[in-house]
Amino acid sequence: MEEKELYNPRSTAKTLLVTGVTAFFLILFLSPFAFMVSTSLKDDDQITALGAPIWPARVATYEYNGAELEAFTVPLNSCEGSEDSNDNKTLAIVKKGLRESTFIDPDNRERGEFVCAVAWRSLERPWQFSATLDNFKETWSLIDYPNLLWNTTMYAIVSTIGVLFSCTLVAYGFSRFDFPGRDLLFIVLIATIFLPAFVTVIPTYTFFQKIGWVGTWLPILVPTFFANAFDVFLLRQYFMTIPRALDEAASIDGASRFRILWSVILPQSYPALLAITVFHIVYAWNDYFGPLIYLSTNRDAWPISVALSTFNGIYGSDPALIQAGALMALVLPLLLFIFAQRFFVRGIVITGVDK
Amino acid sequence: MQTKRFRLRYDKATGLLLISPWLIGFALFKLIPILASLGFSFTDFHMLEPDNINFIGLDNYVRLLQDEAIPYLILATLSTIIWIIPLQLGASILLAALLNSPRLKARTLTRTLFFLPSIIPSVAIAFMWLGFLDPGTGWLNRFILMPLGLDGFNGIYSDAAVAILIGISSLWAIGPGMLIMLAAMQGISHEILEAAKMDGAGPLVSFFFVTIPMITPAIFFSLIINLIALFGGVILLDRGNTFSNGSSPFDGYISFWMFDRWDIGYAATLAWVFLLIVLIVILLLFSTSRRWVYYPDRE
Repeated sequence: MEEKELYNPRSTAKTLLVTGVTAFFLILFLSPFAFMVSTSLKDDDQITALGAPIWPARVATYEYNGAELEAFTVPLNSCEGSEDSNDNKTLAIVKKGLRESTFIDPDNRERGEFVCAVAWRSLERPWQFSATLDNFKETWSLIDYPNLLWNTTMYAIVSTIGVLFSCTLVAYGFSRFDFPGRDLLFIVLIATIFLPAFVTVIPTYTFFQKIGWVGTWLPILVPTFFANAFDVFLLRQYFMTIPRALDEAASIDGASRFRILWSVILPQSYPALLAITVFHIVYAWNDYFGPLIYLSTNRDAWPISVALSTFNGIYGSDPALIQAGALMALVLPLLLFIFAQRFFVRGIVITGVDK
Repeated sequence: MQTKRFRLRYDKATGLLLISPWLIGFALFKLIPILASLGFSFTDFHMLEPDNINFIGLDNYVRLLQDEAIPYLILATLSTIIWIIPLQLGASILLAALLNSPRLKARTLTRTLFFLPSIIPSVAIAFMWLGFLDPGTGWLNRFILMPLGLDGFNGIYSDAAVAILIGISSLWAIGPGMLIMLAAMQGISHEILEAAKMDGAGPLVSFFFVTIPMITPAIFFSLIINLIALFGGVILLDRGNTFSNGSSPFDGYISFWMFDRWDIGYAATLAWVFLLIVLIVILLLFSTSRRWVYYPDRE
């Protein structure tokens, strides 16, 4: 059936249509990325220059008698000695004048200096591709990037360990043990997903303030060791698909409950565990709300998200720096996603579909 | 036979011990704080005067009823919901349908690229969009609006511009929703689609009358997730809320009273009223779900 369609000209047209429409959406979708990368590689002159191209570029310059000369696109019929030509040519400007300027021809230097009757300000300029990494260097030193990287990485690692450890135990309890009120408690667990953040943040903030934890990482890290609804749900769904007969076989061989979890269930659940790991690293990396309210007074402890928004407030007038900073903040989640995208997809599908 | 002879006893005590991290966490970080919020809402608790807390009855609630910002916030929240949610759902269904098409080339790569923006820090996203939309140096005016012969878009801080910004940014986060729709579409059995084809259904008819009804559970799930995200709750792939600049005007207002004015009593009142609104909306959705969501188990 499929093979027959391959030779059908209408089918080829449909393939082109579907792929074309998707490609169109994709280009729209990714254009802000292109903007970001392109802007971060531009130098300051280009960002403010009129008529500059979208790619990182610089006006071509030529060396002449020890000086750097800017290039312009000049209509040749305005120049002495070539009045008959209708072409435009890239010439380097030697002396700028209001109504006429002196140029040389970089390709034909023997011709020497000559005058063209043009207003140089109105001339088009030939742009050459030229990317600079200066914006990254500058951002790196301005925001103390290594320290931010360290803070953010530590947050990601410690909280991911907390989440994995606590959610595995809780999910094991919910998926295998029959204790009174289990189903009701599970519904309560799911219901916590619907709670708006503020109703719990107000008292917990007040409490952490009172015991002196505000300004430290503790209010953000400690709760990760007490399990969270999404990850417990995801793991429990996964554990439920592992047959209980396997537990029983291990138990006959003398394995304890924890041994069963460690040697039977966990090895089989690595896709779900990896999904949680990558989700949580990305979450920690991007988390803004928690660090903002608890760490705003302690500059040295800031993660990259909080530092970036402050940085952007200060350097708001410099688009190249801002885009370089934003790009530096998203490199790690991006790489993680590219290498682990299989587990992202799996995790989302387990949560969303296999209910 | 063998399972009959030997049944593993999953004892109650171990089960409770295993879920105790969540039970303790639930009590400490959810239940007690929610009740404490309720308690605070009847007081004039102020962060700068922690020793001087008085019970003031329903004064905060009276104040809320007289607060002129509240009707505006409810309206703003509703108007965001009314256009953002259908936009997100529609776009994720459309993209999922495209990705599900066997005619699409490089499907895995395409899926990856569409998902990409969903993992980026929201702080980076916000500034990327501000730059993209900048009237002077951004690309929107220069490469999209001007070539189409439209007037450039001027103030990035006008109300309409902010609404458009929220709209585009929310479209950029549809990765998880799209994947859920896609997985649901891939789960539809071929027999059903073949049967529809036999009965003479064209691709469009079969999409609207077979595919869409079959994926209603995924649509419902995405609807709930998107609503929670707008309400400032925990979302599937949380990229960190930009908080006061977030898409939930209510959150911004609570944050203002909490962290700018330190008026904990009033902030708690607002949070509790907001909690009730969210619960009512979610319950209403669940109660209507039986009418339009397809549950295969019930047949």
